[in-house]
Amino acid sequence: MDLAVLLDNLPYLLWGAYPEGPLGGAALTLLLSIGSAVLSAALGVCLGVALAMSRGVKRHLLTLFLGFFRAIPVLMLIFWTYFLLPIAFGIDVPGLVSVMLALSLVSAAYLAHSVAAGIAGIRSGQWDAGLSLGLPRLKVLRYIILPQALQVMLPSFINQWVTLIKDSSLAYIVGVNELTLVASQVNGRLVVYPAEIFLFVGVIYFILCSALAQFAAWVGRHADPVAIAARRSRRSAKDQLPAGAAGHPRPTDPRHCRATTLTGASPACAEPEDAFGLPQLPGWVHSPSSTRPSAAIHSPAARNAATEAGTPA
Amino acid sequence: MLSPFETDQLLAPKYLLWMWRGFETTLQLTAIAVVLSTLLGLFLAAARSSGHAGLRMAASSYTALFRNTPLLVQLLFWYFGVPALFPDGWMEWFTAVHRIDLAGALTLRWPSLEFLAGMFGVVLYSTAYVSEEIRSGIRGVSPAQWMTAAAMGFTRGQVLRHIVFPQAIRMALPSLLGQYMNILKNTSLTMAIGLAELSYTSRQVEAESFRTFQAFGVATLFYIAAIAIIESIGHWRQQTRLARDAAGRS
Repeated sequence: MDLAVLLDNLPYLLWGAYPEGPLGGAALTLLLSIGSAVLSAALGVCLGVALAMSRGVKRHLLTLFLGFFRAIPVLMLIFWTYFLLPIAFGIDVPGLVSVMLALSLVSAAYLAHSVAAGIAGIRSGQWDAGLSLGLPRLKVLRYIILPQALQVMLPSFINQWVTLIKDSSLAYIVGVNELTLVASQVNGRLVVYPAEIFLFVGVIYFILCSALAQFAAWVGRHADPVAIAARRSRRSAKDQLPAGAAGHPRPTDPRHCRATTLTGASPACAEPEDAFGLPQLPGWVHSPSSTRPSAAIHSPAARNAATEAGTPA
Repeated sequence: MLSPFETDQLLAPKYLLWMWRGFETTLQLTAIAVVLSTLLGLFLAAARSSGHAGLRMAASSYTALFRNTPLLVQLLFWYFGVPALFPDGWMEWFTAVHRIDLAGALTLRWPSLEFLAGMFGVVLYSTAYVSEEIRSGIRGVSPAQWMTAAAMGFTRGQVLRHIVFPQAIRMALPSLLGQYMNILKNTSLTMAIGLAELSYTSRQVEAESFRTFQAFGVATLFYIAAIAIIESIGHWRQQTRLARDAAGRS
């Protein structure tokens, strides 16, 4: 294999004619996949929420709509967006945009189902707790259900991005000069090294995709609810040890406090509410306000007061 | 009757025939890829659960390699790359027409290089995915089955062949059907190497008739119909299984 030939063309394969000409090659592949990843994540969450929250006929229609995008090849959808959008709207849609649109629609259709499954997987007690606090359904969804569901679904989101990187190669068909098209240009110029060139391009894709897949596996291990709970209990055990050793009364675990507050049994533990009228949620649940006025409960005086008030005299 | 304007909007029969031919090629390629990738997938899944560490590693690197590169690049490699590595003379043989006339009407024709390369690419790519589904099916078979069979004197291969695989495939069938749908959709990529399948012919019809909407509409309908058929097979299997289970209980 002639490595020198590949090395000569390496910059062109990686970023096209960039400083002088338009961006291309692997850089454009990345740009295309990141763009569609962001768009499909946003669209997928919206569609997934709609799927999880709708019932009856509406749900059937939505499933059918999503089924359409899952049933046709991505290539066919690229044709629809590339050839028909200009005709339908009378505007010139660049290949890059049409491919990005097609990829995000397909991938959003897949993500929507996993988002809906993730929402369905949250225990109904979480809904009941939120609703009994008087929150409207949408706020329960936004502040209680979705943060938990999305955390569980993160690996499947990242795996979808691996698919997106691979599918971005389809932009080749409509002439977007991403990695695959650039490779076939190089191949056309050199003629005699097709095996080497496509192997090398395969290696570039392999590095991109397997790095992302490894990351997904790592996130999967770390975002696992059981693992998170274990880490958190380890951490809180470490925090409590010095206080106990110094002879202070054992501080009330804020989480026990919260549990009793939710049932309304322990008014002394009542947590400060934030600007949205929401109780303080655990740190891993995204809190709507950036400042969390929870310092009071962590000060020794307040802690003692809370302990005294919490124990029946 | 349709007005002249309306008939003008439809695709001419000639074009529909082209697309039907394309659809036939798509179905042929899909059928071959489904059969071959399932067979190879069984071997790959067996290799991944074998006692030989080297074999296990080879199988898992195959899966990683083929899953983490785009099918399109793989197809371009099989179509442009591999023939360049052939010794001289092979290419002439491949591009020439070979046919065998079998007693009268039936003719066997050696497939074109496009079809062969497309088949190679799609089969090898799908094998990686199919074997993963079979493997998760194997994991669903209870270990007691292995031990019982081993106690009865079955070898490892026999246990897989006669006891584990039949159950694993039945268990993995819904997700296997999903992979078969993916195979059908993935055959559309072979248009990049010039195989005249459904997507290729729809593009051709579009370029020649200027009926963009109709050409892609017909192709889309063909694809949806084929996918719906695979899906209904899954539903039908599920129904008969439920019925059998109910009959078994009563």
